[in-house]
Parts: sequence; structure tokens; C-alpha cells
Amino acid sequence: MVDAFLFVGLPYMAMVTAVIAGFRRLRHNRFSLSSRSSQFLEDRQLLWGSAPWHIGILVVLMGHIIAGFLPQVWSRLLAVPNALITIETAGVACSLLAVAGLGVLIYRRITSARVQAVTTTADLVVVALLMAQIVVGLLSALSFRYGSVWSTGTVVPYFWGLATFNPDLTYVADFPMLFKLHLLGAWFIIWLLPFTRLMHLLAVPLHYVGRAPLLVVWNTTRRRQHAVAATIQAESRREFLKGAAGVAGATGLLALGVSEKTLNFFKGPRPDAEAETALLQKKLQRLQQTADERQLELERQRNDLIVVTHYSELAENKGRYFIDYAMAPGLAFKGKDGLPLVISAKCTHLGCTVGSEVNSEGQIMCPCHISYFSIQTGQPNAEAPAKLPLPPIGWALVDATGKVVASRKPGQPVAGSVDTALLAQCSLYLTKPGRDVA
Amino acid sequence: MKLPESIQRAEAYLAERFPVEKMNYTSLVLKKEVPIHRLAWGYYLGGLALFFFMVQVVTGLMLLFYYQPTVSDAHASVEYITEHVPAGALVRNIHAWASSLMIASVMVHLLTALAMKAFGKPREITWVTGVLLLGITFAFGFTGYLLPWHQIAVNATKIGLQTVEEIGKYLPGQMAAWPGQLKEIIQGEASVGQATLSRFFALHVIILPLAIAAALGLHLASVQLHGMSQGVDEKPRRQEKFFPNFLLKDLSVWGVAFMVLFILGLGLPFESLFAYPLFEPFNPKGSTPDGIKPEWYFFWVYYPLELLPLWVIMLGQGVLGAGLMATPWVFKNTNRRTLQLIAVAAGAYLVVMTVFGERIYHLFKG
Amino acid sequence: MKSKLLNCGYRHHLFLALVLFVTSGTIQLRAHPEFQQFIVKHSGRPVNCAFCHANADGPEGAGLGQIGHLTAAEQAELVRARTTFEPGAKLNSPILNAFGNHIINRLGKRKFLELRLAPAQLAETLPKDSDLDGDGIPDVKEFLAGTHPLISSDGNPWLLFRANFRRNLTPIALTLAATVAGLWGLGHLLHGFAVAARLKDDEAEELNP
Repeated sequence: MVDAFLFVGLPYMAMVTAVIAGFRRLRHNRFSLSSRSSQFLEDRQLLWGSAPWHIGILVVLMGHIIAGFLPQVWSRLLAVPNALITIETAGVACSLLAVAGLGVLIYRRITSARVQAVTTTADLVVVALLMAQIVVGLLSALSFRYGSVWSTGTVVPYFWGLATFNPDLTYVADFPMLFKLHLLGAWFIIWLLPFTRLMHLLAVPLHYVGRAPLLVVWNTTRRRQHAVAATIQAESRREFLKGAAGVAGATGLLALGVSEKTLNFFKGPRPDAEAETALLQKKLQRLQQTADERQLELERQRNDLIVVTHYSELAENKGRYFIDYAMAPGLAFKGKDGLPLVISAKCTHLGCTVGSEVNSEGQIMCPCHISYFSIQTGQPNAEAPAKLPLPPIGWALVDATGKVVASRKPGQPVAGSVDTALLAQCSLYLTKPGRDVA
Repeated sequence: MKLPESIQRAEAYLAERFPVEKMNYTSLVLKKEVPIHRLAWGYYLGGLALFFFMVQVVTGLMLLFYYQPTVSDAHASVEYITEHVPAGALVRNIHAWASSLMIASVMVHLLTALAMKAFGKPREITWVTGVLLLGITFAFGFTGYLLPWHQIAVNATKIGLQTVEEIGKYLPGQMAAWPGQLKEIIQGEASVGQATLSRFFALHVIILPLAIAAALGLHLASVQLHGMSQGVDEKPRRQEKFFPNFLLKDLSVWGVAFMVLFILGLGLPFESLFAYPLFEPFNPKGSTPDGIKPEWYFFWVYYPLELLPLWVIMLGQGVLGAGLMATPWVFKNTNRRTLQLIAVAAGAYLVVMTVFGERIYHLFKG
Repeated sequence: MKSKLLNCGYRHHLFLALVLFVTSGTIQLRAHPEFQQFIVKHSGRPVNCAFCHANADGPEGAGLGQIGHLTAAEQAELVRARTTFEPGAKLNSPILNAFGNHIINRLGKRKFLELRLAPAQLAETLPKDSDLDGDGIPDVKEFLAGTHPLISSDGNPWLLFRANFRRNLTPIALTLAATVAGLWGLGHLLHGFAVAARLKDDEAEELNP
């Protein structure tokens, strides 16, 4: 019941009063729409109070307004890893700044005789309310952190519910006392707006930001020269300030986005146990492959004969791959005469590995640039980009006892027996170039 | 003591090319002006190439923290960077894209410098160091491409080096074997393997960077001392101050280039432009996948190489190389209109051969 | 009871099961090149056996991920995979990669073998919303386009770019803001220096006219 009044009744009363009384004041007492500045009376303390107060409160209010009017953009922005911490820190820092500034302003308003002369009760009420509101807000933020995140699901829908005449108390019904106080303070401030100096919210000279500098023409030489120098100085100071602001903004944004990622890059990944195992397994496999290759190289260094396959595995239409003495690919077929046909499979055009399927014309094909090579002679076809033939490779057929039954050196006739029955018992070997086999 | 005439002349020649009296704040910053004319956009290309180079250095150093230059681990280390290291995929993708962008901007920079006759006296040394930089940049591309040790990397390198060996068939007698031996020296062993990877890695990571630092130092010093060349035949009516106007525009171009590179790096993995079997680990015993070809910036010489006899290409390369080096003297008296036509023709050839090279090849070879 | 088995209906089932078992057994000994041929023809892109299999050269051989290189446990799993004809099983065949297993798990071996006659139908029968590599392109689209469904950096470049761009909007926006702010700031800084230099020049001129 009380909640319903405080959080639905009071807000509507405050908003309606503010609007009506505000209009009346605007129509009947236009000149009262001012900030009633007392700068001419006391300006040193005013600088140290008003500047931090206004900067602080404006930043904090801007955060509230963006969260209220652009909750999706706000949520998206806060999803960036460091954005949340930066925004929360900025909020607390600016609140502290505002509190400090307001403290100085209160001190000034109470102790300075000149300022006391123009102080009304309303001023004191306003300044106390503001101080209370910001202190309560600061305490809320510190005791229930990351409010910038949870506010989009609670306070923002509550406000929009009020604005669309569809108020829903449940959003704020279970808030802690501190938040409820902060909400109440906000409604009270809005209520008091047309009756106090808070009206100056509507008198902010925004057009000054874009206003061209006033041109003053001095009529004495000294003043004129001084004015010119002062203008240039002011312009250069303006440029430096804008420059510093831009560069600082850019650095801040970059630090926000890049610092954590760069740190993580150099920190390296911390994979979990499963990922670590998979990585190590992959590494082991690759090492195994390299070990196998070194083994092959060693074999070719040491041995005069390298085994390819058993004679019975040779086919006429599909070659078997092997690695020759130059660590290049080679193919072994069974020739029409029953003898092995062993040629290099490294395309003489640009070195791709030639395919192992034999087509109807007794040719194998290199897939890279489509050259056909006859397996009998190794010659490429006429239109092939490859011009040189695939060189033959020396082989030997060795039987189970280790005796060389037949062998052939490249370019020479077959040596040994060509009896197919005998050969069927043998295994095909490569012979080391330059060595004679027994 | 009176120095001999030749040394005096050499001294005067160098003094004109390196006017060290201009190495002061007034000349370098305050008074420097940049002409404004319809080709003035070309003035930004050198800086753009420098920007991409700096990106390469930074991303390259970051990749260096994780890359392992051994045949058993190279591919796995690159996979590790892409899949496990936080932001690793982004750094690697930026490195790949920036390499192509750097080479592209260097090539366009060459053409515009030619068209603007930026090699005229006293800027000859700028031009010559620039040609050296061009060669070093292409060498960066060629050596870096091998490092991931996947199918297209190793096979494309093999094919590229095979061309060196092929020169041997034109040489008589004993000399026929020299190109093959040269190829083996470059490779470090009989066929592309660990030795090749190690030396390409050394080249890519320290030797070429030192070389480019030296050439770049001379090139930039010369540019800064002489300022931007006139660029067009009629004296430009407008000039803008180098500092701060031109410098700011130059930095804005860098900003745009950075955003483009960042968006490409985040959004477009360069592997998606190729078929996936090309990126599998290199398998020396298996078959070679389809589609092996060198990087796009070699197409202007690769497809002609496939279509024409080798000696034509070698001759062309020789003429091109000598011509490029000797441009400041060969084209000393050429007017800019002719130079612009040459630059446009060369540019058209490069674009057509790079984009349509494969189709042209099939047109002739069926 | 026994006689019931040889009644018409059951005999029919038994015969069919025997035929299927025998034929599927022999078919399984070869890989399925129809799908590779279809992909190459339809998309124009070269693909190899690694599209569905664990080894790029296919399941036959003694290399890693091939039939000749399996442990006892893996062989048991392979047998289980080969004999499961209906969808819904949770198979992990050692000769298939995640996409291959996804196909068999979703379709079942029977349906898959039927599709060998019409490989294009595979794109219709697989679930349309599955995207195994998370690159924003559904697996069925990758199948038709010839890009690998398990490699997130392989895909139609334009589609990949769109998906990645959308995913990374916030970092891109923040970086753009940082670049613009930085350049704006630098610009004004440089102008400030230029103006300050002009001031010094003016002062110097005044002292020595």
C-alpha cells in the first residue's frame, strides 16, 4: 500500500506538478529561469565547488539517461570485457568528484557572508536533498555493484512503465531500502524542480558550444596587438585541448579493447585437460611422421636394395607408390610381359606427383597441368606441358632366399631369368643407382 | 690539397642527392610544401606501404612468439596459433592480408612514381633504393609463404625454385648444371625440406628485415630531404603545407587502411579464398592436391611462364630488371605524358594478367 | 515355433536381411566416391576424402584414421558403426570425422547407402540448421558449395564475411571510434603546434621587423 503510493502515486504527482508549475513559472516569471549565479559575490570557492560538482553529476546523470533510453546499446557495450569495469569506475569516480564539489558549495553557501545575503530556504533544501541523493546513490553503487548491468532489467522497465501509463511495481518492490531511498529522492527532486533554483536545468546555454568567437576591435595599438596575440594563444590552447581530448579518448578506448586481448595473447592459452591431450597427441603424430621420414632416408643411405612390394601385389592398371633413392615418389606396375615396370612418379614439368591410375591408352596422368605419361616408355603426350619423359628406376626381383632372380638397370635389358612362375615367388626391390646387384 | 677531378665530381653528385644542409627543422617541417594536382593522390602510396610494413613487423613479432620452424611442428604451431592462442587467428589473418596489401601498394607506388617522374634529378637514389625495396618485398612474400608448411606453401615454393633449375637447359656443357646447383644452394638440400625451411625462416625473420631497414633508411632520408617531387609537367598552382595539413591527410589514409585491415582480419579468413585441401599439412609421399599456384602477386610472370618458352620470360625479366634500375637515366628526357602512358599500360597488364591469367592460360592451352 | 520362422512373412524378412548384410558388407569395403564426384561437379571446387573421413586419402590404407591403423577398441566401434542402419545412434566411427559421423547418426546407414544414387538429396535430408564448425554457413550449404563443414575458415568468402562482421560489430564500432577520435585529436594537436609556431614567428617578426 505504502509502496504503491511512494512508487506510483508520488512519481505521477511529482511529474504532473513539475510540468504544470514549470509552465506557469515560464509564462509568468520568465526571468526567474536562471541559475541565480553568485559568482560576482564570491568566485574562488565557487570554481572549486561548482566545476567538480557539475562535471561529476553530469557524467553520472548521462550514464543513467543512456541506460534508460538506449538499454540495448548499453547492454551491448557492457558486454565488452573491460567496459563494465571502466564504466563502473568512472561512475564512482565522478560521484566522488560531485560529492566533493557539492561539499565545497555547501560550505561556501553557509559560511560566506555575501552569499548568505542572497541565500533562500529553498536553496538550502535543494542542496541538502542533492547531497543526500548522491550519497545514497554512491552507497547503493558500492554495496550492490554492477548496477549499470542490473538496472536495465529493473529500474529501466519501471520508468518506462510509468511513462506509458502502465506502471508495474514488481520491478522495484523487492529493492533494498537504499535503492528505494534513491528513487524517492529522485521523485522529490523532480517535484521541487519548478519551485527552486533547479529550474536552471532548463536554462543551460547549449548554443554557446557552437557560437563563433566574438570579434572585439580595440582602438589602441597596444591593446590591439595584445588582443591578436591573445587570440592566437587561445586558439592554440583550444587546439591542444581538443587534441589531448581526442588522443586521450582514443588511447582510453584502445586500452579498453586491446590491453586485455594483448595480455592474453602473450599469456598464451590455458587449455583444459582434454584439449591438452588432443594437442599432445597431434604433436606426437607429427613427430612420428617426421621420424618415419628420417627412417626412410636412413634406409636409403644404408641399403643397396629397398623393398617395394611382393610381385603378386603388382597390377597392370594401378601402380603402387614408393619412395625412391632420391626421396621422390615412384610407381611400380606389372608390365604386359609380366615383368615389373618401375618409373619415377615425379612429373617432369613442375614436380607434382603423377597419379597411379592407368587409362585405356596405358598412360598415367599428372593432375596439376594435365600431362599424360606412357608407363611403357615414360614419354609424355604431344600436348603435355611436360616435355621430358619420366625416367625409369632400376629394380630387382629377389626370391625368398635373398637371391636376385632378375634385375634391370635403367636403359638396359633385363638381366636374369624371366620365368613368370619363378618371379611370382619374388619381391620387388629398388636398386641403388650406381651399384651392381649380384 | 686539390682533390682529383673525379672525386670532386663524385662529391658534388652526392651532395646534390643528399642535401644535408636541409636537415633542419625549418626545411624539414616548417617550410616544406606539397604540390596539389590531379595526380597528387599518388603521394600517399609510399606512406601506405610503410604503414602496412609496420603492421607486418608487429604482427610478425607476435606470431614469432609461437611459430616453430621445423617440418614436424611448423603446421601444428600455426594451427595452435589459429585455434588456441587468444586473438591468434586475428593476428595471423592480419599478417596474411597486410602482406598482400603491402605488395599491392608497393606496386601501385612504383607505377605512380614512374608516372610522376619522381625519379628525376636529384631523386635518382630514391628511385634506385625503391627498386631494391621492391625486390626485398617480393622476397619477403616468397619466403614467408613457405613457413606454414602446408600443401600449397611447399608445392608452390618447389615450382618457383624449379624455374631456376630450368635455366640450365639453355646453358652449354658444364654450365648446364650450375642453375641446378644454385637451386640446391637456395634450398639447402636436394629437395625442399628442413634445410629450406630453416633458411627461409632466417631470411624472412632477420636477414630481409635488416636489408629492408637499410634500404628504407636511405629511401626515407632521401624523400624527406628532397620533399615531394613536382609530379606534373606544368608547375602546380597550389601547394599545401606539409605540416600539419599533408601529414594529417597522410595519417587519415593510415587510419582508413587500419580500419580496412582490421575488418578484413576479423571478418574474412584468407583461407576461404582457396580450396581447403591446399592447407592440409604437406605430405611428401602422398599426391599433390589440385590448384597449386603461386601467390597472386606472381601471376604477372607465372602465367606467361606457363604459356611462353622460358628464354622469353628470362629475357623479359632481364630487360625489366635492368630497365627498372636504370630508369632515372633511361627516361631522363621523357616527358610525363609518355611516362603516364607507360604506367597505365603496365598497370593494365598487371591487372589483366593477375585477374584473368588463369582464363587466358586455359584459352591457349584448352 | 521354429516352423513359424520359415513362414512367408518371416522368410521374406530373413532373406532381405541376409542380402542386405552381404551386400552392405561388400559395399562397405570401398569408399563412396559418388559423393565426392557430385561435390566436385556441383560446386566446381576440388575436395578430397577429408570432407567426411578422418584421413585425406580415404578410409583404406594403413595411415592414421584408416582401417589398417585401428586399435582393438576402435575396431569394435567401427563394427558397431557399420552394422547400425537406423538413425539415432550415437556413433563415433574412427574412420569418419565429425561430419561423417553426423551424417550416419542423423540418417542411418541404410538411408545413406540409398543416397549414393542421388547424392544431391543428402542436402535435403540432413538437418538444415546444423552448423558444425560455427562459421555461420549451415552444413548442407557447405556440402553443396564444396567448402569443408568442419573448418570454420573454409566457406563462401562473402557469407563468412557477413557472419563474422555481424558477430564482431561491437569491437569494430569501438575500434572505429578509437581511430576517429585519435585522428581528430592528432589533427587538432598538430594544428595547435602549427598555430603556436605561427605565434612564435609573429613575435620574432615583431622584434626584428
